[in-house]
Amino acid sequence: MSGDIFFAIFGGLAALTSLLVVLQRNPTHSALFLVMSFLNVACIYVLLGAEFVAVTQIIVYTGAVLVLFLFAIMLVRMEDLPEMYGGHPVQRFVGPILGLALFLEILAVILSTVPLGAAGPFTPENITALGGNTQALGRSLYGDFLVPFEISSLVLLVGAIGAIVLARPDYTASRDREIGSLFTISLGHPQESTIATPSVYTVRRDEQLILHAEEETETAGEAIKR
Amino acid sequence: MHPGLEWYLSLSAVLFVIGLIGVLTRRNVLVIFMCVEMMLNAVNISFIAFGRAISSATGQVFALFVITVAAAEAAVGLAIVIALARRQDTVDVGRIDTLRE
Repeated sequence: MSGDIFFAIFGGLAALTSLLVVLQRNPTHSALFLVMSFLNVACIYVLLGAEFVAVTQIIVYTGAVLVLFLFAIMLVRMEDLPEMYGGHPVQRFVGPILGLALFLEILAVILSTVPLGAAGPFTPENITALGGNTQALGRSLYGDFLVPFEISSLVLLVGAIGAIVLARPDYTASRDREIGSLFTISLGHPQESTIATPSVYTVRRDEQLILHAEEETETAGEAIKR
Repeated sequence: MHPGLEWYLSLSAVLFVIGLIGVLTRRNVLVIFMCVEMMLNAVNISFIAFGRAISSATGQVFALFVITVAAAEAAVGLAIVIALARRQDTVDVGRIDTLRE
C-alpha cells in the first residue's frame, strides 16, 4: 500500500518536472527542473530495490552532468529563442502527435504482452542473504560483466579526451579569421585582433571590404562579426 | 504491496515520450541534450523494472552502463556545443545549416 503511494508521488513528480523541462523557455530553469526529475527517478530506483543505482544516479547525473550543463549554459551566449511561441509551427504540431502515437504503441505492447526471460538467482531472499543490493550487483558486475565493465572505463577515458580536444580554442578558425594580423605574435586566442589593415582585407575578404571600406576605425573583430 | 511491472513500464514510457517531444519541438540545442538525458533515464527505469521482475541483477548492471555512457556522451556533446557556439555564435538548431549552402 505504501509502495503504491510513494510510486504515485515520485512518478507523478518525475513526469511533471520532465514536462516542465520541455515547457520552460529559459534553459537554466530547464536544467533545474531536470535536477528535480533526476532526483525523483532516483527515488523510483529505490522503490525498485536498486539502491546502488539510485545513489550512482544522484552522484553522476545531478552531481556531475547537470553541473556540466550549467557550465555550458554559462559559457554559451544564450539567445531568447521563440521556442513555443513562434518559429517552427510544423515542429510544434508534429512533435506531440508523433510522441502521442509512440506512447499509445508502447502502452498497447505493455498491456497486451510482456515477455519475460528465465528467472535469475537474485530473489529478495537471496539478496538479503548476500547482504544487500550492492553485494548482489557486485557479484553480477564483477562476474558475468567484467569485460564490459573494463570497456566502459575505456569509453569514459576516450570521452574525456574527446571533450578536451573538442572544447579547446579553435586554432584553425582563429588563424583563418586573423589573417589581418599576420605580422603580429598571436597567442592563439580567438578574440578580436586590434590591427585592422583594410589593405589586407582586400586580398581575402572582398564582400567585407565593400561593406566596411569607409569605417576604418573599427576593429577587425567587429568587422568580421557583421 | 509494490505496484506491478506494468506501472513502472508505463512511467518509463511517459518519461521517454516527454523527452521525445522535447527533442522534436525544442530549438535550443542544450535543451535537446537535456531531453536526451531524460530519455536515457526512462530506459534505465525499464531496465531495472525488468530486472526485478525476473529477479536478476542484470538490469541494474545495464543501468550502470547506460549511466556511464550518458556521462561520456554529455561530456563530448557539451564540448561540441561549446565549439559550435564559438564558431557559429548560436545555439539554435534551425540555424546550424552550414552543409546546406
